[in-house]
Amino acid sequence: MEIRTSDRFPGVEWVGDPGEFIRVDESKCDGCANCVRVCLAECFEIREKKARVRTLAECMECAACWYVCDKEAILFSWPPGGTGFRTNWG
Amino acid sequence: MVDYDVVVVGSGFGGPVAARKCAEAGLDTLLLERSEVPGEKVVSGLVIPFYGFTFGPDFIREGNPPLERPICKVVNRFVRDGEIYATDATLRVPKPLALGYAAYCKPFCTWLADKAVEAGAELRTSTTAVEPILEKGAVRGVITDKGEEIRCQVLIDAGGTQNRLALQAGLRRKYLPESLELYMIWDFEMAKEDVDETFGLSMEFFHAFPEEGIGAPLGYGSTLYIFTYRESIHPGLGQFLVTRGEIPNAAKLLPRYFENFQEKVTRWKRDIAPKVRLRAVTWDVCPIYAGLIPETRNMPVFGDGILVIGDAAGFEASAFGDGVPSAWFSAELAAEVAVEAVRKGDSSRSALHQYERRVKEHPYITWIITDWRRWDLRKILVSRSEADLRRMIRDHWGIGAFRYRYSGRPLAKAVREALRRDPRAPLKWMEMFSRYYRNWEENRFDPLSESGRYTRPLAGKTHLQPDI
Repeated sequence: MEIRTSDRFPGVEWVGDPGEFIRVDESKCDGCANCVRVCLAECFEIREKKARVRTLAECMECAACWYVCDKEAILFSWPPGGTGFRTNWG
Repeated sequence: MVDYDVVVVGSGFGGPVAARKCAEAGLDTLLLERSEVPGEKVVSGLVIPFYGFTFGPDFIREGNPPLERPICKVVNRFVRDGEIYATDATLRVPKPLALGYAAYCKPFCTWLADKAVEAGAELRTSTTAVEPILEKGAVRGVITDKGEEIRCQVLIDAGGTQNRLALQAGLRRKYLPESLELYMIWDFEMAKEDVDETFGLSMEFFHAFPEEGIGAPLGYGSTLYIFTYRESIHPGLGQFLVTRGEIPNAAKLLPRYFENFQEKVTRWKRDIAPKVRLRAVTWDVCPIYAGLIPETRNMPVFGDGILVIGDAAGFEASAFGDGVPSAWFSAELAAEVAVEAVRKGDSSRSALHQYERRVKEHPYITWIITDWRRWDLRKILVSRSEADLRRMIRDHWGIGAFRYRYSGRPLAKAVREALRRDPRAPLKWMEMFSRYYRNWEENRFDPLSESGRYTRPLAGKTHLQPDI
């Protein structure tokens, strides 16, 4: 499986294709940007007053976005087994 | 028809303990883990408090888990204008005793998973439990990301803070952001001699009022700390996802706090920075008050066919670092109840109800889910008094922590209970402290399996040191 790294976050690898394990339900999103504020990986952006997932490339699966969404517009699940982030230094 | 007596979801700190205990009792036990190697998705600045070891599972106390450094002293530094204006290092014990043990999650969780496998549990890694199998409100197993249905009598949810399965089973709701902390960790390589000389067997906190800019407002996140490992140090800090009623811009704030710390604080600039090299940056969300605040504290920890342990149950990783001990304690209690349920062939709600009763009687778990004094630091934000801050820290992270009305209460109760069960327990504790210290000095721990890439019991195969 493909392994990716990031200059911003050394010591972490992202493995394979985790798929869209975080999604935004646009019908519920009110564009409050709470998800943007808490995401250290800059996964979200606001476009036309709605949040959308920009990339999950540096996501560490903490689910902070899911917790701070008052409107339950963030859909959070785990990536498929063996994919997504990993580290030796946690 | 069931495939397993017990399925444990999550091979972090709690899951393998539950799986081992079930397997030891002869139950057909499966341990599922979504990462390829146990522990490689577990992020935590980790000093496991001593009471997890003394009152926790026998096999950990009697084993030789991979520990990074015994922590004998908590050094509280108080910062104003970048300088340390006071230090409280009253919380200390002489070696070989220790207040806690620093560890990296990956080797430690792999060690735990190895122990579950040695006892006969089957470990399946790279497998995500996507949803529970529900029949008339009862949990009957899990469906994996490969679409496989695995049926069991008892499901133990050790899935961590996000507790997906218990949520999907309708048992619990997601934690409120007011009770959760987003914390960020920087791992630095540092020569062992330098860690020994700069820190010794101590860890440090850096307390300051918010204007110092090196941490969240008091009581709204972990104070900047430096955990010390064998050949590395592990600074971290955190902020609540709701701070004083608002969702903070944590993505900007957390890195900025640490930048300020590195730029301003002399202790870092002079004593530490010249000797370290950044190796990793990670973060995670952890529950600090999920088991304490009224909205979520009384959520069930069991249901028809399901038991919930550790962070998933709100037995949280509090500001006192109780996450791992409470995961161990609850894992053992859940396993006991699961074994009884399987033997009786009854895993209904009423049979599993025992689990709730037992966790609520546990001296440490009770403390974790009832001790409101943890909110106290927030008062200092109002009083703005340095003396109050120092007194409060002394009562929590200084010698006051041993006083009866603080953490002394669960300690005294746990000691009494341990002595009642086994009058020779203190001898075992002393033996453990000595052996752990010797292990650390000699850098000799149990060898670990090769990256956990096995599905069947190891039965005496050669282990390899993982690449960590």
